[in-house]
Amino acid sequence: MVECDFPECTTFGSVIRFALELEKGAAGVYEELAKEPKAAPAAEMFRGLAAAHKKRGELLEFTRQQKLNEMILEPIQDMKRENYLIDTKTPKGVDVKAAAKFVRKIEETSARFYLDSSMIAKNLMAEAARVMEKLGKECQANKAKLDAL
Amino acid sequence: MALLSEVKKNYGVLKNFVNGEWIDSTSSKVIDIENPSTGEIIGQVPMSTADETKAAIEIADEAWLAWRDTPPITRARIFFKLKELMEQNFEDVARIMVQEQGKTIDEARGETRRTIENVEVAAGIPSLMMGYNLEDGAAEGIDEDAVITPLGVFGAICPFNFPAMIPYWFWPYAVATGNTYILKPSSQVPLTQYYLTKLVEQAGFPPGVLNLVNGSHEVSDTMMEHPKVKGISFVGSSPVAKYIYKHSAEHGKRVQAQGGAKNSLIVMPDAVLDRTVSNMLASYYGCAGQRCLAGSNLVAIGNIGDPLLKKWLEGSKKIRMGYGLDESVNMGPVVSAKAKKKVIEYIDSAEHDGAKILLDGRNAKVPGYEKGHFVGPTVIDQVTPDMKVAKEEIFGPVVTYLRMDSMDQAIDFIHSSPFGNAASVYTSSGKTAREFRHRCQCGNIGINVGIVAAMAYFPFAGYKDSFFGDLHGQGQDAIKFFTDRKVVITRWF
Repeated sequence: MVECDFPECTTFGSVIRFALELEKGAAGVYEELAKEPKAAPAAEMFRGLAAAHKKRGELLEFTRQQKLNEMILEPIQDMKRENYLIDTKTPKGVDVKAAAKFVRKIEETSARFYLDSSMIAKNLMAEAARVMEKLGKECQANKAKLDAL
Repeated sequence: MALLSEVKKNYGVLKNFVNGEWIDSTSSKVIDIENPSTGEIIGQVPMSTADETKAAIEIADEAWLAWRDTPPITRARIFFKLKELMEQNFEDVARIMVQEQGKTIDEARGETRRTIENVEVAAGIPSLMMGYNLEDGAAEGIDEDAVITPLGVFGAICPFNFPAMIPYWFWPYAVATGNTYILKPSSQVPLTQYYLTKLVEQAGFPPGVLNLVNGSHEVSDTMMEHPKVKGISFVGSSPVAKYIYKHSAEHGKRVQAQGGAKNSLIVMPDAVLDRTVSNMLASYYGCAGQRCLAGSNLVAIGNIGDPLLKKWLEGSKKIRMGYGLDESVNMGPVVSAKAKKKVIEYIDSAEHDGAKILLDGRNAKVPGYEKGHFVGPTVIDQVTPDMKVAKEEIFGPVVTYLRMDSMDQAIDFIHSSPFGNAASVYTSSGKTAREFRHRCQCGNIGINVGIVAAMAYFPFAGYKDSFFGDLHGQGQDAIKFFTDRKVVITRWF
């Protein structure tokens, strides 16, 4: 079980915090699944995806620090936290198919979060929106890889 | 959502930084530094004496001789180092600011970014400070050069609303151009500069180049009166700005004194309503209305009055108040109990004058933060131009809603104010926007932008009673303020 603390998405900072929690959750779940004996054939792929999600966290930290423009810190009033929560209670004793099914859901939800937040960020901070869009597309690509398992 | 952690719970009694050393003030007078969200005392700041200030000025003057001989590129390298240290400590700087000032973490991070931007611009000093020359400029065989030179010791007296950024509108440019500096942060919010000055120390500026002297009037008056101080930069209220300007000028100083504001945001019938409301929410409620660029009067033109007000109230009601270390909070408290009382008095006066309080923040409570100085978003309708709330600076999250028939009427209203800091228009018409920017007599004009905050490479100041002086803060104006031109005419026999 990876502990995550998802905030309400009401500010630029809380959207980035939400994203960081998503990345922490995804990385943690992949790491746990990589240790599952029955999912061993996909262990290397899961370890790779865990590392990628951790790296994305660094990009988000960088975005929060570098792309914030104090002049256009508008409140965010259209993103519902409930729509983007992920399950980080990693199932035990799962095989590759079941493991892939579990993380596919995480990638799918994360992709939706990033693509929705990039639409909102477009109005506020175009630079941050580009980062969100990139991360959303990466989640979609991850999901496609998992579909093939 | 858990709160972000505070850098420290208590910072103790602050020291001054003079001649490259952290020293205790000799003054027995200290004042408490309060966290405006929690009401906790988080440190104490000394009220340094005139003698301590004079000693710091003498040291800065001595340090100037070697610093002005330091090549600009060498000076710039220390600013690059400072920038690096600020990036590394970015989050701590922002969190200290939230703790002592009350703004939200996003606002504090945004301010930290702007603070760093001033260091980045100042680091370009070898290019920014270049003089000019003309071969055969005086006569055939006689060349003429204009050399840009520093002047000596400068000082700044800073306000509470931007604890990190405002001192950095000034001192990086002064020091990069080869001057030395005395910085007096606001005694309400001295912690951020205390922390940043630790980074200045680590960056490797020679002793005496930047000196931090905590205190109040005694420090300010000494700086304004001391013959070795060449110029004063100030940001605060207009009456004090006027006093600083006059008093410093009487003592032969250069002065840039930024005062108060009463900013009007004009919404035309063709404005894009959703985007306009979202953008204006940041202007009126950001930093709890304590920006000198915050919106105060909201002027609806023609038939947009009712639909705009409806949307405005919807948006205002959704603003989340709380301790800024909760990242989902949109608005923090005002800076002190005194500030809260003043804001409430203005709301009371509007009610007394016959305006209608549609959203009342006077009794706002934030669970868990009962000792915080919170004023909720307040919307006052049926305000007329003659009311006190339409004319005076409130410096809180209060929207005074006026309705007018035309942009002409709105511009006349703006021009009737003694202030001229900022004004904005929301419209989808280029012609209207062009006319507004051309006619409006304010130092900062926004077109569909509610916080017209000049970037570090542009000058910042208002007009009329919002600014006393000539050269603005930041950008090329800052370089000019902190330097003089020396003409050299050369002939070789």
